[in-house]
Amino acid sequence: MKEVIGKAKLLRCPPGTSLQDEGRLSGAKYGIPSSGAMDQRSFRWANHLLKNTSNAVALELSQPGLQIQFTQACLIALVGANALVNLNLNKVSNSSLIAITAGDILEIGAFLSGSRLYLCIQGGFQVERYLESGSDFESITFPFKRGTHDLLTYFSYPQSQNLGAKPKWVTSWFESPEIETYRGADWGLLSLAQQELIRSTTFHLSKFSNRMGIQLEELVSNQLKELPTNPVFPGTVQLTPGGKIIVLMRDAGVTGGYPRILQLTEEGQSILAQKKVGEPIRFQLLA
Amino acid sequence: MIPHYQVISPSFGELVWDQHPTDELLGFQLAYLTFIQSNFSDTLVEVRQGFTRISLVWKNPKTQLEFSAQLKNIKLPPLELSNTIWHVPVCYDPEYGQDLNALAKSKKINPIELIQVHLEPIYRIHFFGFLPGFFYLNGLSPLLHTPRKSVPMIAVPPGSVAIGGNQTGIYPMQSPGGWHIIGRSPLAFFDSKQPIPVWAKPGERVQFVPINASQFRNWKDTSPKSTSP
Repeated sequence: MKEVIGKAKLLRCPPGTSLQDEGRLSGAKYGIPSSGAMDQRSFRWANHLLKNTSNAVALELSQPGLQIQFTQACLIALVGANALVNLNLNKVSNSSLIAITAGDILEIGAFLSGSRLYLCIQGGFQVERYLESGSDFESITFPFKRGTHDLLTYFSYPQSQNLGAKPKWVTSWFESPEIETYRGADWGLLSLAQQELIRSTTFHLSKFSNRMGIQLEELVSNQLKELPTNPVFPGTVQLTPGGKIIVLMRDAGVTGGYPRILQLTEEGQSILAQKKVGEPIRFQLLA
Repeated sequence: MIPHYQVISPSFGELVWDQHPTDELLGFQLAYLTFIQSNFSDTLVEVRQGFTRISLVWKNPKTQLEFSAQLKNIKLPPLELSNTIWHVPVCYDPEYGQDLNALAKSKKINPIELIQVHLEPIYRIHFFGFLPGFFYLNGLSPLLHTPRKSVPMIAVPPGSVAIGGNQTGIYPMQSPGGWHIIGRSPLAFFDSKQPIPVWAKPGERVQFVPINASQFRNWKDTSPKSTSP
């Protein structure tokens, strides 16, 4: 296929914007975190819609306010949070697939539901990969986050104007408070009363939430000792001596010393990644 | 030291040792890691190592069940640990070790004694974690075990040598951190532009070598030196 190099200019870029993909699986032996899209389900769906390879690099947004201009025609998908989207100041009603022509300006407004939006492009954004991943991370990729005036490179392919039937992105799957989880490696250290409390409590997301981890408001008091430092993963739920529950997310370090009480399923991690500060969650333990 | 296997999810589990971290346990862990890499790497998504666990993420649940059933028949001798010692220069001047004096005071010893106690052991590298290129070292004297700060520092400078809990470690890059900073090394500990971004391997050892503030400021070569006695 004949391709032309296109540039996407970030005319205005809110904080918490980064390039992400499936993540970096072979870096743990050097202490390098997984990284990758916080909501892998939405990320994968976006690449599927574009017929991309599964690891094509996408822009992850965690706040409204992006204004982006494309120098060449391309096909993009917006998946994840349900956001207000304008193309050249006109409201886009179904933004799951958008055909862009050269010079178009796209704006992302308020997130009506959800917390993370993926802007994927046909062929993926072109970046240098480290350990097979293009996910931004400090000291690993340069730059490690994206800001206003940055340029992103992509390949512009000849476009057919007919997109066919546009799939409608639904968000109901992440609106339920239920988060599926396995018992973590150290679940057995909890008392039966603590286990029951964790199963039955409706927890709420605190404002201490980022790509490294999401801390919950409610405390679970415990007398557990600090343990030898051992492996943790995205979705590992830690219980601190102060009773705080921290769900580790994609940029968390690869090891930790707090008891690892739960391990969220990948679906559970994707749902949690779409929750806003203050929203309720309940842990659903799987057999 | 035969581990048992704990299944956590259909495609994820851990080799579990109940002992405390020691050189002997590390030798067994490295033997199991080598065995797993040579026999199961095609069927694994990811392997992670900690002080007393090795975590395995499998491509499919059936292989995890097979591995877990086989495990009790796998009896491996420990791997002999490397005799390589990396010499890591550290400046313990309070300019670079801003918590040194307060930590010494809390231990009721003078800062010189604290430095001597920290310099005494040759530390064993068990694995990397917390930050890219951050060594988990075993061997800190119990005299220096100190709970982490209740309020972490926003930006610990790269190269900072610190004590937290029963550990000592070196921050490879600027990071928030709750450990007590007692010095700084002029070496580079992580470089993602290198094919292998770290220079040491689990099983090797680290010896801290004191340098003064003027040596620190004039230090040119950020790559480390090692010996193999």
